Amino acid sequence: MTVRERKVVFALKLVLTMSPPVSSDLGYIPPDGGWGWAVVFGASISVGFAYTFPKAFTIYFKELQAVYSISYSQIAWITSIMCATTYGGGPISSILVNRYGSRPVVMFGGLLCGIGMVSAAFCTSILQLYICVGFITGFGLALNLQPSVIIIGKYFLKRRPIANGLAMAGSPVMLCTLAPLNQFLFDNFGWRGSFLILGAILLHCCVAGALFRPIGADTASVKMQKIEEGKETLKEEVTKDAMEMSSPANVPMETKMEEEGEKDCCEKINQYLDFSLFKHRGFLIYLIGNVLMFLGFFAPIVFLAPYAKHIGIDEYSAAFLLSILAIVDMIARPTTGIIANSKWVRPRIQYFFSFSIAFNGACHLLCPLASGYTGLVVYSVFFGLAFGMVCAMLFETLMDLVGAARFTSAVGLVTIAECCTILLGPPIGGTLIDTFGDYKYMFIKCGAVMVLAGTFLFIMNYYNYRMLTKEEKERKAKEEDPKSVRTENEGRNNWNKEATQGGPELEPLREEQEGLKKEVNGTNEV
Amino acid sequence: MPASCLGESRRLLLLPLLLLRCGLSAGSPADPAVTAKDASHSQASSLTKMQAGLLESSPEPMTTAQTVNWQTQGSSSDHLTLGRSVSAPGSDLATQEFKEATKDNITFVKYEALLPGVSGTSVEKNIILDSATRIELSCRLDKKYSHLQSQVTWKKGNETIRYINKTENSWSIKLQILDSSNMGSYSCAVKSEEEISAEFHLQVPKIEGREKPIVSYGGDTAVMMCKSSGYTPIAWTWYVTNGSEQMAINASLAEKYVISSISANVTHLKILKLTEEDDGEYWCEAAFELGESRARLRLRVLSFMVPLKPFLAIVTEAVILVTLIFLYEIYSKKKENHAEDEKEFDQVEQLKSEDSNGLENSSARHRRI
Repeated sequence: MTVRERKVVFALKLVLTMSPPVSSDLGYIPPDGGWGWAVVFGASISVGFAYTFPKAFTIYFKELQAVYSISYSQIAWITSIMCATTYGGGPISSILVNRYGSRPVVMFGGLLCGIGMVSAAFCTSILQLYICVGFITGFGLALNLQPSVIIIGKYFLKRRPIANGLAMAGSPVMLCTLAPLNQFLFDNFGWRGSFLILGAILLHCCVAGALFRPIGADTASVKMQKIEEGKETLKEEVTKDAMEMSSPANVPMETKMEEEGEKDCCEKINQYLDFSLFKHRGFLIYLIGNVLMFLGFFAPIVFLAPYAKHIGIDEYSAAFLLSILAIVDMIARPTTGIIANSKWVRPRIQYFFSFSIAFNGACHLLCPLASGYTGLVVYSVFFGLAFGMVCAMLFETLMDLVGAARFTSAVGLVTIAECCTILLGPPIGGTLIDTFGDYKYMFIKCGAVMVLAGTFLFIMNYYNYRMLTKEEKERKAKEEDPKSVRTENEGRNNWNKEATQGGPELEPLREEQEGLKKEVNGTNEV
Repeated sequence: MPASCLGESRRLLLLPLLLLRCGLSAGSPADPAVTAKDASHSQASSLTKMQAGLLESSPEPMTTAQTVNWQTQGSSSDHLTLGRSVSAPGSDLATQEFKEATKDNITFVKYEALLPGVSGTSVEKNIILDSATRIELSCRLDKKYSHLQSQVTWKKGNETIRYINKTENSWSIKLQILDSSNMGSYSCAVKSEEEISAEFHLQVPKIEGREKPIVSYGGDTAVMMCKSSGYTPIAWTWYVTNGSEQMAINASLAEKYVISSISANVTHLKILKLTEEDDGEYWCEAAFELGESRARLRLRVLSFMVPLKPFLAIVTEAVILVTLIFLYEIYSKKKENHAEDEKEFDQVEQLKSEDSNGLENSSARHRRI
């Protein structure tokens, strides 16, 4: 064998045994373990802080109301602003992650949260509190939430639902620790001292961020170099077979070079925040379904304790209902992750998601029938279960639909769209309660909205799956035809088209037995 | 009994005279509160006199005064039946029976306690009253104890009261609660081999302060709040404990203390420019028609160093953790680079040895796709 041939063989082995530069969307095979578990731990801390901090903050309301002589609705603006900034800051978060990667963004976010709370400790007016606690801390939490979810998609593929479930489980765990901690701090240090110490505690988001070791860029660049070497040797040997064999490797190279050539305005923006997602069928389905769902998602939690007190249960038992909810939630999230990862559910994960939303809605519809404390306990248990199921799969399904590379932009766009309905949900529920004087209409509204959202998602995802399998078949038919492979343009077009349609990674998961290479090619096709 | 009937007629004749006298002294008839107070004062004095002089008081002039008082308070539609004075030894309060007055401002409430069949036990009921009330307390016994009829006694504290109403198995007394002296504990007891009793505690409404101390910092403002749930007090007063005595807080010290009320049921005390000396106990007092009620609050004033120490400790811990994580990453990267170099070297060697087989294998693998 000549030296050239040896080099070809070496290059081929690299290309075919190691991860090629183009696969699904990431450009490498995620490790699915190892350091990934540390990343999951860090993500659960980040996510926990982002979701539970506004809820745990309500302990300070009474005191702040008295100190600044303001009404409850004025003080409730603090958490509203915080929630709005956390969800509304999504796109900015996505842009920053696209540009700088997850780690610097999360660390900066943690720093911002800390600074916000420390400055809040020295506030002298409610407006200053709005800015410090509402905007600054809220934005810091936004910079925590999105990158944490994004980096899970970068570290996991096969075990991604489990990783997502575990990361989202950080939220109830953090709630169970933050709420009593806040009470303890408030009793011992008053509200100013508590804010100071909370600022220090929020700095642990920086610690979580430090765990987010960048992946994809480092490892891929090393391999890219080797593949470039291999490419050069192949180019020297212009044979059809060599071209065919290496076309998967060549195509992305040339595409990339072309991209660099013609960078117009749209593409530049899309590089930072992928607006082309709005043409993506799966993304649109997810967006509409979720925006609808959030209208009735959070209101029952907000009103569970007041409802319990309304039907005559004492304050401590009412608070205990929420604890039951949190504990069931804590167990439900990782369990859902494990179930969603099983080979029966994962290909049809969107159906599982729609089912859990509809289940959630059904719980709310049945709540008014619950009489007395036992009934409410049963409701809390089922609600906790349903809530955990939905939350665990919230981001997993989006990743499944758009793929991990475009997930960065997708999550930003989705959170800013959800922002409106999340904020509207509890006030609408509140107005219903005030108008009718009865809590059951709020539960009926929430239940109806969620059942509707679940059904919509179910039907639309059925349609989506059918379209995807149809496109799959067309793609396969085209590839088996040797003429199409020769023309690189067509191949590239197909690849581009598939990229825009994205689609679930059904292929690699169904044919896992065939080994790593098959998976690589399968994601290639996607 | 015939003697008392004569007494009645004499009283009725005296009524118009006394009416005039009371009318002049009582102020405008349109002001029921004032009238009630005057009446209650005179009634109270009469009652206390009666309690004080246990054995020697002659009930008749007292009851006259009582009757008159009620007459001025009540509307003309009141139908008064004068009670019987008691001839039993010891002093008894004569309580008057009267029908509910619909035009009256005073409410009428009835409380009943069911006496348990178990001996040695007592039922207790807390009754909260914030304004003048007519109250009827009754004790009811189970039918199986009907043989104990004649031995039911009503007491206020230690003094016995004669019951007014007696049905088949219940005994009741009617009381006019007009000021704090009427408040207290009233009990009914059935004496037999077993001691069965029920106690009614008439109390002013409790107000809520805060059990946990309010924590604040030097130079800051602290706000203390007291709330009365359900009952509206007439006035609020704040006291600060100075050493062992309690000083009322004067609203004139406006730079230091600001007392404000958002609503009639809630009072706020704002203390500005806190210093270490402001640390201590504070009392808020709500004045009701029938008495006062107090709640205690505690204020702790800390210096800013106190939360600063945990803050610095936690910040240091976070920085250390971040540094450790980065150091571990650098260390493991170095290890990885070493391992990779070795791996590459091995692979190249492997390729060189498998030359001819390698080419066929790879192409075959590729064609399988």
